[in-house]
Amino acid sequence: MRTLLGLTVANVKSLVRDRAALFWTIFFPIMFVFLFGWIFGGSGDTKISVGFVDQDGTPASAGLRQAFAGVSLLGLHDGSLDAEKAAMQHGDVSAVIVIPKGLQDALVQTRSGNKASIAIQLYGDPSRNQTTQVVQGAVTQVANGFNLEAQGGSAILTVSQLTLQSTNISAVAYLVPSILAMALMQLGVFAAIPLVQQREKGILKRIGATPLARWKLVGSNVLLRLMVAIVDAVLIIGIGFVVFNVQIVGNLLASAGVVLLGAASFLAMGFMLASFLKTEEQATGVVQIVQLPMMFLSGIFFSFDFLPGFLQTVARFLPLTYLGDALRQVMVNGTQVAPLGEDLAILTGWLVVCLAIAARSFRWE
Amino acid sequence: MTPSGEPVIRVTDLKKYYGDVKAVDGVTFEVARGEVFGMLGPNGAGKTTTIEVLEGLRPPDSGNVEVLGLDVRRHPQSIKQRIGVQLQSVSLYPRLTVTELLDLFGSFFSHHVPTKQLIDAVDLGERAKAWSINLSGGQQQRLSIALALVNDPELIFLDEPTTGLDPQARRSLWDLIKGLQERGKSVMLTTHYMEEAAELCNRVAIMDHGRILQMGTVSELIGRRFKERAVFFDSNPKLPLDRLTKLGGVTRTTEEDGQTVLYSTDVPGTITGLLATADGLSVEPRNLGIRHATLEDVFLDLTGRALRD
Repeated sequence: MRTLLGLTVANVKSLVRDRAALFWTIFFPIMFVFLFGWIFGGSGDTKISVGFVDQDGTPASAGLRQAFAGVSLLGLHDGSLDAEKAAMQHGDVSAVIVIPKGLQDALVQTRSGNKASIAIQLYGDPSRNQTTQVVQGAVTQVANGFNLEAQGGSAILTVSQLTLQSTNISAVAYLVPSILAMALMQLGVFAAIPLVQQREKGILKRIGATPLARWKLVGSNVLLRLMVAIVDAVLIIGIGFVVFNVQIVGNLLASAGVVLLGAASFLAMGFMLASFLKTEEQATGVVQIVQLPMMFLSGIFFSFDFLPGFLQTVARFLPLTYLGDALRQVMVNGTQVAPLGEDLAILTGWLVVCLAIAARSFRWE
Repeated sequence: MTPSGEPVIRVTDLKKYYGDVKAVDGVTFEVARGEVFGMLGPNGAGKTTTIEVLEGLRPPDSGNVEVLGLDVRRHPQSIKQRIGVQLQSVSLYPRLTVTELLDLFGSFFSHHVPTKQLIDAVDLGERAKAWSINLSGGQQQRLSIALALVNDPELIFLDEPTTGLDPQARRSLWDLIKGLQERGKSVMLTTHYMEEAAELCNRVAIMDHGRILQMGTVSELIGRRFKERAVFFDSNPKLPLDRLTKLGGVTRTTEEDGQTVLYSTDVPGTITGLLATADGLSVEPRNLGIRHATLEDVFLDLTGRALRD
């Protein structure tokens, strides 16, 4: 354990002291978060469009609609519940306000002395936390005003919050888990370079001449990369939250699990590549050939659906497609390319296959 | 300390082939405790393969290989605990310091020498906090030897320890290696510098094409091969070799680095004849000298090639 730890510390020091490696493993993905955050995150329109569904159809509900229309932040878009939910799923509206049947009745009941209340339903997208909060604030304000005006503050209107996943989660919310996936992919694939370097320099062979068990040598590399994976995840999620207000709504533990599985899969790929590459120059080149197309084809920067048909087919074979998909699902409730279980199964498959090939073909010198 | 007792290395008919290449083709030798044993040969002779089999880095194809009384195939881990290894032209983690590397390698062994002591032993005190990549060639070799000593080994393998070093750095490394022997360590080293073998080794094996051609002390090897000494000189124009060959005592003649070399069993007779011949042709021999044959001559004679070809 002491040797494993010592070796891991040696690897950490080597990484931290190597500015180029540090740039690629940590600062490069962060740069992407800022870059794409600013490109896609700029909120040009000041009005938030909101679906408005009036199921009551009475003068009371019409009055309420007028109150909502008066809120300058909101742009109302009228329609049936199904139509508006569909619109939200397509990203045409950011939230849906539903005035259920019975508003007028409740008002009449209250005026005649009985207690009655009715809940406005508000559909919000949890991955677009900021927008949802603004809409919710507006709705609550309108409801309070309505209550006050109608019956001295007695709570006729309440607000019940519902969630609905929208297909087009905000561009930045889409990007944060995607860039994390990219960072994990690069972290793993780039691991081939120091391995090939250490073999080329004879470091692996030199250590092979000591009694150190080989699994510890491999283990320390894995530990280092998993540690960096966690640092990357914390930094990317943190910046996404602080700067671009993308909130992780999913289970943190599940997210961490997917992060580690993804890191392990791509690390296995890095080890597999290192098995076949002989020189550092080769490794640097081949790693780029592997990672660049994957970066652009796997739906990292834009949705998978925008790819032409045959490239979609190609993308279906790339593990990064599934890591990005899995991370978006567990972190921001993104719509899926494949069910989460399938994503995880495919990543595990890549892990096992790459690991098996690496175990068979890896050379220490 | 003089070599004695149970051998620390015992190799019988070791073979190691890579496809059609017979890297090591039936090598047999022993190294006594306390001895410095050298393998001398050109690149590709099989020295490194032999030493790497002994270090447990490569399995032998056939033959019996014992290190410190243990079979390398059956007890590689126990052997690795007790030997020190310096590999040919290995760089280390470039961004770790001398101290960090020694600490790290020390942690791989069940017992190890304090880092401070090792740094002092190889005289790297002023560079203790330097990254290994920033060390000079000689300092890197000294670090590499310090790493080989980290577990206080009984037997140390040095694979071309001074290749690529300037003469001064080579001298200082030689002193270090001699110091190891004084402390009772056994050393096996490979080199293609015959003066290094002559300076350091109790015994030398000359290796070429995977086989040991000759083995013994340096003076044994030279004496066994050469009764004659070499008479060498420059001249302009060159004296005809066919006439020189007929001079008294001359066994053979060669041209080396622009010099004419006459191997002779009768040096005074050869020189008298040489001067007379030169005078007859009105040529003045310059830089005339006499030397004993060297390991280089032995190697040349054995293989027809120079060591560093």
